[in-house]
Amino acid sequence: MQRPIYLPCLVYLLFSILLMQAAHAKEATDNSDEVTFKDYTLNIGDRIDLGDYQMELIEIQSVRDGLVVMRTSKVGGSLDEQRALLLDSPNNFDGGAENKGITITVADIFDEQSAKVRIEYSQSLGSPRKHASERPALALDKPELFVQKSFERNQMSVGDAVKVTITVKNTGTGQALAIKAEDIPPLPEFTYVAGYPPKIKETIDPGQSDSAVYVMNAVKEGSIRVPAMMVSYTDVKKNAKSNSSEPFNILISPKSKADLAIKLASSGPLALDGESMLNISISNLGTASASRIEVDGTVVPSEGLQVTGLEKSFFEIMPGAEVNYSASLRGQKAGNYIIHLKVNYDGGDGSVIREGTGEVVVLEREYKYQYLLLIIPIAIIIAWMYRRYREYKY
Amino acid sequence: MLNVLILGVGQCGNRILDAINKEAFGGGGAANLAKYYLRPKFPSRVETLAINTAINDLKELRFTTAKDRLHVPNLHGVGANRNVGKQAFMDNRDVIMGEIEKRGDFDIAFVITSTSGGTGSSFTPLLINELKRQYKDITVVTVAVLPAREEGSIYLQNAAFCMRELMEVEAEGIILADNQYMKRFSGDIASAYDKINNMIAKRLLFLIESLDSEMLSVTDLGDFKTVMNGGLRIGTMGFYQADSKNLSIRDAIENSLKPVNLLYPANVGDDAARAMIIIQGSREHLDVDEITKEVERLTASAGHVFKGIVVKKGNPKVLSVFTVASAPELESIYAQAARGMQDEKEKRCRARKQLDDAFAHIEDLEEIY
Repeated sequence: MQRPIYLPCLVYLLFSILLMQAAHAKEATDNSDEVTFKDYTLNIGDRIDLGDYQMELIEIQSVRDGLVVMRTSKVGGSLDEQRALLLDSPNNFDGGAENKGITITVADIFDEQSAKVRIEYSQSLGSPRKHASERPALALDKPELFVQKSFERNQMSVGDAVKVTITVKNTGTGQALAIKAEDIPPLPEFTYVAGYPPKIKETIDPGQSDSAVYVMNAVKEGSIRVPAMMVSYTDVKKNAKSNSSEPFNILISPKSKADLAIKLASSGPLALDGESMLNISISNLGTASASRIEVDGTVVPSEGLQVTGLEKSFFEIMPGAEVNYSASLRGQKAGNYIIHLKVNYDGGDGSVIREGTGEVVVLEREYKYQYLLLIIPIAIIIAWMYRRYREYKY
Repeated sequence: MLNVLILGVGQCGNRILDAINKEAFGGGGAANLAKYYLRPKFPSRVETLAINTAINDLKELRFTTAKDRLHVPNLHGVGANRNVGKQAFMDNRDVIMGEIEKRGDFDIAFVITSTSGGTGSSFTPLLINELKRQYKDITVVTVAVLPAREEGSIYLQNAAFCMRELMEVEAEGIILADNQYMKRFSGDIASAYDKINNMIAKRLLFLIESLDSEMLSVTDLGDFKTVMNGGLRIGTMGFYQADSKNLSIRDAIENSLKPVNLLYPANVGDDAARAMIIIQGSREHLDVDEITKEVERLTASAGHVFKGIVVKKGNPKVLSVFTVASAPELESIYAQAARGMQDEKEKRCRARKQLDDAFAHIEDLEEIY
């Protein structure tokens, strides 16, 4: 009888499995004393259990200083310590990880609520487990100031007064303390009339706001980048913070002035002893109103052209507006006449004089058929003489 | 206002008429232009008519209107032949009289003619007869120009026969002008005739003006007719204008009667039958006493003297018209004409005889060919 071949193969397989199990058991026994580590991100109240150890994040004491408070305890009460941990500084408990204890290092502080923590421990302690806190996250007293600096208008002219408003609002949850508003440097394009530097309350409760207003006069034209305004403050924990407004641009145009343009238009040449009208238009091409406008006129030469209604006065001409009036002309002597018109007005920057001229031609008396005065008598004389010549022609 | 007809017959009559028209334009060089723009200024209503058979003579006129020129068609003149002229007049009498009739009615007619030419000397007597026949009350005075003696026997002959016929017609008188007498006042013949024509023209216009003026002392057409009817009914005119050197009216009257200022050689003291003295000038120059004295002195020799005084600004002007009781110069003309005619007749007889003698040479012969 032939012995089946599978039996030795099965024995060999079992044997191999046994060997492998034995090798693995040996290796596990050898690694149980090695130190390992693991990083956890903890919120306040979160806890890590490792063997008998319990580690809880109590507080982020200072983000700026890198201080985090953790409580470390051990089942049985042999360890119960609440320690402030400095960022990146290892803190040993029960001799540290090298001595079968644990070592905690704050690797990073994210904010007032969370931090990254590294736990170093001996593997014999088992595997750490994180327990998230079931307590609701406490609202922190964290102030947050919103700063806004605004001009009354972004376009103005030299000489214009402009009101600047500084608004600081606490949009955070904590009280903002020691608030300092620094609106510097003063802009050279302005003279500061009143209210500068702006004063903001030193303390602003959450949801509250404060504002300051100051007035400036634009003195220099140009496009100006208004720098950001910085407000520094602290929270109740003396954590210093600062916020800035957004910079923006404004445009200062040249000073607004009235600019009157004078036009004189006569209705063509004027017949001797004839009458006509001179149309005068005064338009304000400037950006400011002209006021107290006085129009005066002279005619050169002074005799030969009678002009009435040339003088006029107007109270105001708005920018872009135009006033029209007419003067009557009467030609008394043939010739070319120049009418000078002088307009005196207040253009917003003192008294201004503008002049305009127009020419009026008074024609010579037109004898339309004047040549007939010569031709007809000559023709009559010639006809008469021819007739007489015929009378005496034999 | 007088209605005056002035007829210029023949070349001489035409030219004197033209001179009258020129004077009516003011005379002188200005008249050449004035005729184109002025009307002739006559003192009365004056109608003029130049009559001629020679059209070229009519064409020469410069101050007479074309309608006042009447061409009597007879070839080119009558060639100084009075018989031809008379026939031409008779043939065209109706045309001539019709032309005159167109000009209306007249108080006085002056017929100006040369006595020596063809047309004037032949037409004038017949024309005067027709005027007298057609216009019953008209006064006709002939202004007859005697030829220069050297102008030729035919002209003298014509003058002689013309004067005889003029004396026979019923005209009121003849005012004589003698070319022979007057041409001595000028150097050349052409200017002499012009001066004579102008002289006659001025005197006639002065006479017409005076007859039609309001006078200080009146002479009128009736006086003029009386003067012209005196003596032989042949008269002449003298004229003088005082210059500023001598404004004496007596001297002016005297000077107007001097031979040098007459149209025909006459001695007023010896020959005058009746006279008319017309004085014109500014009132300050017209001393009536002096005028009267001078006229009285003249009356002593001339028989009767009419005086007329016209006050008009200017130096004194005196026109004297007088008729003569004797005309010795005419007699000499007739004698000279007769001699000329006799000589002509003898010459013609001699020439005839010579011709007859010449013809006698061929009396018995015939033409041989």
